[in-house]
Amino acid sequence: MWERIREIVRKELRQTLREPRMRAILIGPPILQLIIFGYAVNMDVENSAIAWMDQDLTPASRELRSRFTASRYFQVVEEPASDLEAQEALDHGRARAVIRVLPGFARDLARGRTTSVQILLDGTNSNTAAIAGGQAGAIVNGYSADLLRDRMREKLVAATTASGGPVTFAIPTVSVRSRVWFNPELKSRVYFVPGIIANIVMLVTVMLTAMAIVREKEIGTMEQLMVTPIRPFELIVGKTLPFAGVGLLNMLMITVAALLVFNVPFRGSAPALLVSTILFLMTTLGAGLFISTISRTQQQAMMSSFFFFQPAFMLNGFAFPVRNMPEPVQWLTYLNPARYFMEIVRGVFLKGTGFTILWPQMAALAALGVTILLLAALRFHKRLD
Amino acid sequence: MSEPTVITDGLVKRFGDFVAVDHVSLEVTRGEIFGFLGPNGAGKSTTIRILCGLLAPTEGRATVNGFDVARDPEAVKRNIGYMSQKFSLYDDLTVEENIEFFSGVYGVPRELRAARRDYALRMAGLEEKRGSMTRLLAGGWKQRLALGCAILHEPPILFLDEPTSGVDPIARRMFWDLIYQLSAQGHTVFVSTHYMDEAEYCHRLALMYRGKVVALGSPAELKQSAGMATMEEVFVSVIEREEARQ
Amino acid sequence: MISFRRTRAVARKEFLHILRDRRSLIAALAMPLVLLMLFGYALTLDVDRIPTYVYDQDGSPESRDLIGRFRGSRYFDVRALAGSHAVIERAIDRNEVLLGVVIAPDFSKHLAAGQEAGVQLLVDGSDSNTASIALNYAEALALAYSGELRSKAMNRRGGGELKAPVEPRVRVWYNSELKSRNFIVPGLIAVILMIIAAMLTSLTIAREWESGTMEQLLSTPVRPVELLFGKLSAHFALGMLDMAIALGAGVEIFHVPMRGNVLMLFAASAIFLFGGLCWGVFLSAVARSQLLAYQTAVITTFLPAFLLSGFVFAIENMPWVVQLVTYIVPARYFVTILKGIFLKGVGLHVFWREVLFLAAYAVVLFAIAAKKLRQKVA
Repeated sequence: MWERIREIVRKELRQTLREPRMRAILIGPPILQLIIFGYAVNMDVENSAIAWMDQDLTPASRELRSRFTASRYFQVVEEPASDLEAQEALDHGRARAVIRVLPGFARDLARGRTTSVQILLDGTNSNTAAIAGGQAGAIVNGYSADLLRDRMREKLVAATTASGGPVTFAIPTVSVRSRVWFNPELKSRVYFVPGIIANIVMLVTVMLTAMAIVREKEIGTMEQLMVTPIRPFELIVGKTLPFAGVGLLNMLMITVAALLVFNVPFRGSAPALLVSTILFLMTTLGAGLFISTISRTQQQAMMSSFFFFQPAFMLNGFAFPVRNMPEPVQWLTYLNPARYFMEIVRGVFLKGTGFTILWPQMAALAALGVTILLLAALRFHKRLD
Repeated sequence: MSEPTVITDGLVKRFGDFVAVDHVSLEVTRGEIFGFLGPNGAGKSTTIRILCGLLAPTEGRATVNGFDVARDPEAVKRNIGYMSQKFSLYDDLTVEENIEFFSGVYGVPRELRAARRDYALRMAGLEEKRGSMTRLLAGGWKQRLALGCAILHEPPILFLDEPTSGVDPIARRMFWDLIYQLSAQGHTVFVSTHYMDEAEYCHRLALMYRGKVVALGSPAELKQSAGMATMEEVFVSVIEREEARQ
Repeated sequence: MISFRRTRAVARKEFLHILRDRRSLIAALAMPLVLLMLFGYALTLDVDRIPTYVYDQDGSPESRDLIGRFRGSRYFDVRALAGSHAVIERAIDRNEVLLGVVIAPDFSKHLAAGQEAGVQLLVDGSDSNTASIALNYAEALALAYSGELRSKAMNRRGGGELKAPVEPRVRVWYNSELKSRNFIVPGLIAVILMIIAAMLTSLTIAREWESGTMEQLLSTPVRPVELLFGKLSAHFALGMLDMAIALGAGVEIFHVPMRGNVLMLFAASAIFLFGGLCWGVFLSAVARSQLLAYQTAVITTFLPAFLLSGFVFAIENMPWVVQLVTYIVPARYFVTILKGIFLKGVGLHVFWREVLFLAAYAVVLFAIAAKKLRQKVA
């Protein structure tokens, strides 16, 4: 039996590596995704273009402006002189926000009255707007807090002098200290790159497996194979094993790229990653097998893979967190093996977790893997008969 | 009935180093059923494609109904009907839809469309099946449909490239009845085949081997000059002679 | 001369093909619908209900007050009160919570003494986007609470202007509820049109080559330009239909604001679609196999439209090299127009440059496609 399996594996590898199309699928998508998600797509909000409308033109307002320009979050690209110009800057998308200091700013401050700074955000991209808004607010708050402290000190000095002795000013404040775990610089690439492993393994193995099997049907060699003493089980194993190898190879490739090129940390257990990849492969190979039973031609196989891949890709938590999805959709993702693998991959790379924490996900993968493989194999079996 | 409608003069087609058509010169007269015989790869399909304006000749000239194939292929296309070797109508359209499409594409005048459509359906025997999906027709019916689509615009010349390959003998016989009908009506039919019995049905034949015309004449003439009784024997002896020569 | 009759015959045939081919139908109808469902309903980048654990080391009315603020905010979902750091750590490791709020044991004491009272925020930084926003909200909440304490203290003391001298007043334009769906769904139209334009169209000519029907076609008087127009018109109609469906679904079902001119929207879509269709036909003529045409189409149209057009991921955040690349992605210009029409309610005077580019793109591609088709056919 192993003889026959080995023959099929050898044939598969030879055929796959010879076909330029297959070779392209092996190399193209990983590199493409790495470039796109490791480099191009960047959700970090920095250097936002802002329009600065200073209607006060005092040292105070200029001090505030210098705080904005000194921070790495903003750069002033325009100085609109009127409401209309400010509106245009936002309408045309030249600035992400308009910061407006109203006339009388410094005077109000001097008089000890509370004044405000207007932050007009372009809400079109709500995410970047929220973050940029937060950053701008923080700068203003920081400016305000510094002013407050200066004032307090003055008062303290005045009061001490007046009373002829030490005076304490009791002002309760809540101070917040933030610690960011796993990704202290909050770089989106650290978030995306490990997830690419899940995407690529899924895309490549599903597509290649489906196409490889369908190719035999197309050419007609499947009939030829069926006449030999080979059993359905051996055929399935022989056809899927090489692509399991491909999947593991892809996983290694991307891991190496992540560590060396993108400076993504790897803090967790490598054996856990390996085992999880194998479990995940069970599900993807099963899916590929299944697709092969519903496709007559290679391009049908490819398009079906793509069509099936789309929702699985969207709903696995790669770019869009599962947590934010509507309840019914979240329930649906429990059936998506890629969801679990995504959690595992991020856990292993970023959080330094291993078997002890990730076993529920791995168990889910195993269960789904067995089910999908079984269903596909059953269907396949019927076809061969 | 005796003016030449298809004339080739020293026609050559090269693909890189490979010579597919090697100095072919022949004339086909109006109303003739001209057969093109030869083994696979002899250059029959390539010659036909050149004559249809689908390929440009490397050297030499050819005219179809007075139009030069190299200089005026569009005029040539308006004057011919073509059936390619591989069945090439639309599988996912019905019989009637295929006919409708080719009527439109051949520019059959609106007033004549219904009549031509009915004629094609009757000629092909597909009146009952006009609403059938083409994919579901048996081989013989598909060929007849393709022929029907090729004559919608009443072209003076028909080029049929192995029209009966893979079709059962009875269907083949019926198909040739149609060809005779068309010839009697004045269409010139240029047909290639590798069925020897069909060779007997042609008015005149050209035998192609490795791009060259190695025998030309009516079936009777060829049998006489080769000293053989059947076209099959003629074919074999001529090919053997050619192979010996090389 | 172009024969209208021949062109119409080709167009009618194309319609029948699309309707009868399951794959084409899926690409033409099912996929756009699935994408609409995904992006209009399932997927969102909005951050709220952040799962949080609070470790209250103080247990005073003040700390409970603060916790109450977190509970009351729609941005936070306080799942439980943790008993130790380790509990929070484990929960973060397990992806159960995103944020841990640790209130120092001397919180209330410090407050009473008028000093700084410490709150520590522990956030799971893996998802940098959500983490940034979560931190923003949490810090803002704590600051607001801090401000209130100050004012209360001042009021008790009876006087003093120790309020924060400067307050930021934030107003959000165009998308005031900050819903990610509002900017994603309009951009989705670009993606959907690209699917039709390139993926569907790229199959048409390659399929004719593969099945042999092209040869038959070539032997007829049909001209390359007629072939082009015939095929284009069928796919164009389908594309505009999809656009209308997306528009309707976006506005009626997902309540995306539509503040601009609908006619402008249709006009811009038509131009964009036309250019994309010509590209699809070009690919189909160049690549002899359907598979190759399809793959190239996906890589050159669908993917860029998805990733590099500003549809979901903001272009301004990308490295400048990549930003340069986006200038040759037509979908980028179209997404700008879409957002402008839907959210900003602006018109031609704002995005005339983008429209110009799309028109130029369409014209150039039409010329290229026609030339290529003529080449391959003659």
